[in-house]
Amino acid sequence: MPQIIDVCPVEELPPGESRLVEWEDLEIGVFNCGGSLYAIEDRCSHDDGPLAEGEFDQENCTVECPRHGSLFDLKTGTPKTLPAYVPVDTFAVIIEDETIKLEVE
Amino acid sequence: MAVTENEALAAINADYEQRYGFRDAENYLYKAPKGLNREIVEKISEFKSEPQWMRDFRLKALDHFLSRPQPTWGSPLLAEVDYDDIHYFVRASEKPGRSWDDVPEDVKNTFDRLGIPEAERKFLAGVGAQYESEVVYHQVREDLEKQGVIFLDMDSGLREHEDIVREHFATVIPPNDNKLAALNSAVWSGGSFVYVPEGVHVEMPLQAYFRINTENMGQFERTLIIAAPGSYVHYVEGCTAPTYSSSSLHSAVVELIAEPGARIRYTTVQNWSTNVFNLVTKRAVAQEDATVEWVDCNLGSRLTMKYPSVYLLGERAHGEILSIAFAGKGQHQDAGGKIIHAAPNTTSNIFAKSISKDGGRGSYRGLLEIAKGAHGARSKVVCDALLLDEHSRSDTYPTIRIGEDDVNVGHEATVSKVGEDQLFYLMAHGIPEDEASKLIVNGFIEPITKELPMEYAVEMNRLIELQMEGSIG
Repeated sequence: MPQIIDVCPVEELPPGESRLVEWEDLEIGVFNCGGSLYAIEDRCSHDDGPLAEGEFDQENCTVECPRHGSLFDLKTGTPKTLPAYVPVDTFAVIIEDETIKLEVE
Repeated sequence: MAVTENEALAAINADYEQRYGFRDAENYLYKAPKGLNREIVEKISEFKSEPQWMRDFRLKALDHFLSRPQPTWGSPLLAEVDYDDIHYFVRASEKPGRSWDDVPEDVKNTFDRLGIPEAERKFLAGVGAQYESEVVYHQVREDLEKQGVIFLDMDSGLREHEDIVREHFATVIPPNDNKLAALNSAVWSGGSFVYVPEGVHVEMPLQAYFRINTENMGQFERTLIIAAPGSYVHYVEGCTAPTYSSSSLHSAVVELIAEPGARIRYTTVQNWSTNVFNLVTKRAVAQEDATVEWVDCNLGSRLTMKYPSVYLLGERAHGEILSIAFAGKGQHQDAGGKIIHAAPNTTSNIFAKSISKDGGRGSYRGLLEIAKGAHGARSKVVCDALLLDEHSRSDTYPTIRIGEDDVNVGHEATVSKVGEDQLFYLMAHGIPEDEASKLIVNGFIEPITKELPMEYAVEMNRLIELQMEGSIG
């Protein structure tokens, strides 16, 4: 069953910023790309390293894995460069009552 | 009594000094001081009048390189690499010539001695010749140019086809992939840019020849080959250097992209002098129904660490790696290959052969990965090692990861010695000892040499002949 979890108030995540949230055993990175919000699992599909610590490019809406350089599309979770080749999970972002929320399952 | 096969085989590359080991006087337009810093990287970018994005790319890669530790796996010889004792950029000529007459006289003489212009006339569709950091000569047959084939040195490729380069550059091997890829990304210079348009078959090989002349040199070429759907290209590279008592470093990055139904074959005959550290990252992408083949021959260098890889990203893609390595006195050839099956019904083969002699060390290091969802994948890995004496060493480090049930994977590995019994058996049939040794070695490497273009097969066989010459008297 999908659940809705709170991330933070909208004003706490301005464009160009990211934030990490935990839910059960999942870590999820939430990114503000020029006003659009996206969320992906914080785990590189290449070797399980943390993604949200990597360089966030809000113009191209990507994050670069700090370990081996794979570039992930935050909208789809798809790697745009090797060595990762499997997409990471993405999560729907909802704004409700001026709060950023995620739909998780 | 005839000498042992040990003595006979000591002659591999015995004429290296005479054939390849000569050196030219240094008449350079620019030679960077030893060592690497931001200023050197900026200078390289400035020399090449690069766009800002490439300059930023280099500087970011430099930060990656400086912040990553030297790898501790692979070979203890890696600890000998001294990054502060290297010249990172040496310019020998103003720009690549389209005629050999445009190439500086002594550099032209070098390539004449190496037989490159002659080979170009006889059997090549295009040639690039790199001397130190940059390509000094580049030419492609006119009929191919008319069909839209692009074969340029990488610097010119960036200048003349910036859009294509920017779209694909570093998508297969990002700068932060590993420390050496980061180093190359920071200081890359030269190498080849190849684009083959849809449906075009380049029937004769394109060749690049890499030459290091100066002492303590670092050569960091960067090659990007894109084969559009249904096209075919065979790219061949060779390399040599004079022998010095101090070390040089060669660290290339090679990216291949085979689009749907395309086929790329990439052949390397690596024959660096035994003071060169050869630390190279080579990786290919094969999309739907595409084929990528690496034929990788390692004869020279002090240490080679190189594992060409193929990511089979599209359904029915095929990858093939043929690797052969000779490790002689003081050498460590840490070679092999990686295949990643990331799509259904993909197929691959890895055949690796190593020959170790005179205390040399040959290692096979390989990865075969079948991702979840790549059902119907089929792969065969065969790695064989031949030890020619008691002092030499062979190691095998195979990794196999399988994430799918419906697959077919085979792995075979053998280590054998040229034993007295094999020699005795052949000699009992009237074959002299030197001939017998030759037969055994030839039989061992034959599956690889038969895949080489004829001219290179001849060269490989010549090396085998040489080793036998030493056995007379």
